[in-house]
Amino acid sequence: MKWGLGLVLAAVTGVLLFVLARGFGRDPHEVPFMLKGKPAPAFTLHRLDTGAPITLAELKGKPVVLNFWASWCAPCKLEHPVLAWGARRFAGDAQFYGVVFEDTEENARAFAAPLDPTFPQLIDERSRMAVDYGVSGVPETYFIDATGMLRGKFVGPIDARTLAQRITELQQPQAPLSAVSR
Amino acid sequence: MSGLAVALLLAAYAPQQAGSTPLDPAREARVQALGKQLRCPMCQGLSIADSGSSAARAQMDKVRELVAAGQTDEQIRTYFVSRYGEWALLEPPAQGMNLLVWLLPGLLLLLGLLAIARVVGRRGPAAVTPEVAEPTAPETDPYLEAVRAEMRR
Repeated sequence: MKWGLGLVLAAVTGVLLFVLARGFGRDPHEVPFMLKGKPAPAFTLHRLDTGAPITLAELKGKPVVLNFWASWCAPCKLEHPVLAWGARRFAGDAQFYGVVFEDTEENARAFAAPLDPTFPQLIDERSRMAVDYGVSGVPETYFIDATGMLRGKFVGPIDARTLAQRITELQQPQAPLSAVSR
Repeated sequence: MSGLAVALLLAAYAPQQAGSTPLDPAREARVQALGKQLRCPMCQGLSIADSGSSAARAQMDKVRELVAAGQTDEQIRTYFVSRYGEWALLEPPAQGMNLLVWLLPGLLLLLGLLAIARVVGRRGPAAVTPEVAEPTAPETDPYLEAVRAEMRR
C-alpha cells in the first residue's frame, strides 16, 4: 500500500521535473526562427536613394546579407559601422542590403544621410517583407546563400567577428547551418 | 534604463501607421479572431490583435491580406508557425509534448480525489463520530464525595 503511493508520487514528481526542466531550459523571450535552410521569401523593394526596384531573384548567384533597421532603433546606429565595414571588406563575397523596418521614408533618409553609404538601403512598405522573413525586432541580420537559401539570422547588433564568420560560412556550399544566436 | 529615458526624450519610437482597410464584417471578424490566437513577437505577452505595437500591426495586415486572398484559418496559422514556430500560437495545439499541459492538471485532480476517497474510506463511518469519554460515576469519586461532605457540614 505504502509502496504504491510512493511509486505514484515518484512518477508524478518525475513528470513535473521533466516538464519544468524543458520549460526552464530555454529562454521564453527568444523568438524561434523556422526559415533556416529554407528558400528565402521573394521580395521586390525600392531603394531609399534612387527608388529603383530590387528583387531577390536578381540578387541570386552571390550571397546576400540583409540587415533590418529603423531610425528609432538606437542599437541600429551603433551597429551600422560594422555593416559598413563588412560591405567594404567582403564586397567580393556578399551583397549587403539594409531594409528599413516600420519607419517613414523621411526619418530613414535623415538617419542614413550622415552614415557611411557603402551599401544600399531598401524601403519595406508596411513591413510586408519583414513579416514574410519572420522579423521579430530590429536590428536583425539575415544571411542568404548564392542559391537563395536562408542560412540563418543574427538577432541584435552584430559584431565584426560574427559577421565575418557568417559570410565565410555562406561561401561553403555544404556549410553547417549556423545556430540562431541572440 | 537611462537608455530608455534618452530614447523617450528623443522621441525615438516607431512611427504609428494605421492598419490596412478592414474587410467586410464577416471576413474582418475572422481576421480579429485569428489575430487573437497569434502572439506578438515584440510585445510577447499579447496577441497581435490586442497589441498596439507597429510590428503587431504589420502582422495584422498580413493576416488581413491572407484572409482576403481566400486562405483558410489553418493555412494562415501555418504561415505564422512556419516563421515563428509554435511559439507564435498563444494556445499550443494539444499534441505531442503539449498534451502534458492539457492532461496533467486533470490527472492530478483525479489523483487528489482518489487519495481523499481512500483516506475517508479507511476511517469508516464509525471513526467519524468522535469517541465520548465514559463519564465516571459520581458516587465512586472519592474527591467529589469529600467535597459533598464538606458542603453538608
